[in-house]
Amino acid sequence: MSRAVIERCVLTAFAGFMLTVPWVVPALVNTFWVSVIAEILIWSLFAASVNLLFGYVGLLSFGQALYFGFGMYGVGIGIDQLHLSFWPAFGLGISAAMLMALVSGIFAVRLTWHYFAIITVVFSLIFYFIAVTMKPLTGGDDGINFTLPPTFSWGSAQWSFINATFQYFFILATVSLCFYLMHLVIRSPLGKAFLAIRDNDVRASLIGLNVYLLRLTAFVMAGFLAGVAGALFAFFGRYASASYMFYHVSGEAVVWAIVGGAGTLFGPIIGTSLFIIIRELVSTHWEHHSLIVGIMAILVVILAPQGLVGLWRAGLDWLTIREAADDHSIGLAAEAKLRTGL
Amino acid sequence: MIDTLLLLALNGLVWGLIIALIALGLSVIFGLLDIINIAHGDFFMVGTVLAWASLEATGNFWIGFIIVPLICLVLGALIQTVVIQPIRGVAALSIVATFGLSLILQEVVRMTFGATPRRILPPISGTVPLFGIDYEIYRLFAAGLSLAALAAFFVFLQHTKLGTWMRAVRHDRDTAIAMGIPAQRIYTVTFAIGFALAGFGGIVAAPITTVDFRGGVDLLPVCFIAVIIGGLGNLPGTAAAAILLSLLEGIIQSVANPTIARISSLVLMSAVLLLRPQGLFKGHVR
Repeated sequence: MSRAVIERCVLTAFAGFMLTVPWVVPALVNTFWVSVIAEILIWSLFAASVNLLFGYVGLLSFGQALYFGFGMYGVGIGIDQLHLSFWPAFGLGISAAMLMALVSGIFAVRLTWHYFAIITVVFSLIFYFIAVTMKPLTGGDDGINFTLPPTFSWGSAQWSFINATFQYFFILATVSLCFYLMHLVIRSPLGKAFLAIRDNDVRASLIGLNVYLLRLTAFVMAGFLAGVAGALFAFFGRYASASYMFYHVSGEAVVWAIVGGAGTLFGPIIGTSLFIIIRELVSTHWEHHSLIVGIMAILVVILAPQGLVGLWRAGLDWLTIREAADDHSIGLAAEAKLRTGL
Repeated sequence: MIDTLLLLALNGLVWGLIIALIALGLSVIFGLLDIINIAHGDFFMVGTVLAWASLEATGNFWIGFIIVPLICLVLGALIQTVVIQPIRGVAALSIVATFGLSLILQEVVRMTFGATPRRILPPISGTVPLFGIDYEIYRLFAAGLSLAALAAFFVFLQHTKLGTWMRAVRHDRDTAIAMGIPAQRIYTVTFAIGFALAGFGGIVAAPITTVDFRGGVDLLPVCFIAVIIGGLGNLPGTAAAAILLSLLEGIIQSVANPTIARISSLVLMSAVLLLRPQGLFKGHVR
């Protein structure tokens, strides 16, 4: 079996599992895990926004929680204060996040590397403190609770998040759509330009790419992903709080993305699943589950610096190349790899 | 009004000196090992907890001033060897590793010390009249001690063999190795010293603040602000920025609430980052 076939099988199995979660998971464990999986999907999207910037453009943002928070508050304030219905509130959340990403990106992407990491965390801290201060509007650290309007209504028939299965599939569809859009962007010439900047920004500018504008584009796209994640999380929890804008939330997403494998589409999903499943499994029995998270994060960066997806690919290469060698039909690339001892 | 202003400004100054110590530790680690140390606030927190532990064990607060930095040195060397060394050179991984380290330190403290914040009584009680207000003697003592530690650190860096080696490795690692300087050991020593500086800041600050397993979380951004405004790699600039910032926050606090004071220093930091990324002060730029 070649690598592509194995990966296609795994992907098909994964898709099949995701589509049957509301029925399979309650049969295997219990219904609680359906909502855990929905939560994993949302946080994966948030980790993907870190991944888009770091893995594909080479900008390590430590402040993505700001756009998550704006997505969340767009929905929360939209429903609670402005009495919007579902879709306008969703739109408000996403556009608030993208607008904020545009405004802060104009300043932030002028800087790179350490300076970029630090200015993004500073921006997010500024707005975190503002949100904490503006208690009447934002509820501060306590947050605001709201009741969710229906998503679709057709005459007297309504579909809303009260129905757990509908909630799950709405989240699955939205997150899948976002990942598909990200996949399209990465495959497009725009994505190639991103990669060129990641690998060497000086050379990228020498071949005529507008590095500043491309970085800003990526930053707004990442703001979009984080904003959608935040808006979904507000719908999911019927709740918006300033505490989700703190830098620890951004930091967790960075850890999830890098542990899963930065620069790969599925890395953030794997990293996020790993940590949230551990948290849910352990936290009911042992309150110090963060200890395990900390140890895992350190172990992964030491033992698998390419992330879990990198580890998987290395393992797959090792398997398939060995089979190919038995076949006596070594491809050129595989032969070169064998010669150099990889 | 003037009294509150003076009190808050003095408090700001004292905190600034302590933060200067901690930020210096962060800056040394950053400058030499190229590591963004997310766990640095927790190094400070470990210092405060060790101060509490040594007070409980010996009944004497003063012994802690010797024991705590020593334990921190050992812990720092250990952490550098086990966690930092295997990933050195990759800054993105260092963020994940130190984030994990931060979680581990907080959880271990929560498991052993407990989740309830505690207070340590200042070993020197009483107040002294100063510019027309009564000021706590211990705070003045803490300021003096921090100042002495800062001075001692700069003397160490400029006038000892180890300090010279540290500066040499930071300046040009390959040449330093070619000259026979054991760079690997210098990395370990630097990380240990960075931890010890934060830990020493912890014991000095322990009687002023509360001892809490989350005590480092709020401190970390402040230290980063000081390092940036002072200029990355500019050690005297870092110390000066820490003192100035805390003084400024103290003064703003006398007219507005602490959160607004914090927001203004963050805005100031963004301006410095965008307009003068080399830092506010002139000097050696890495």
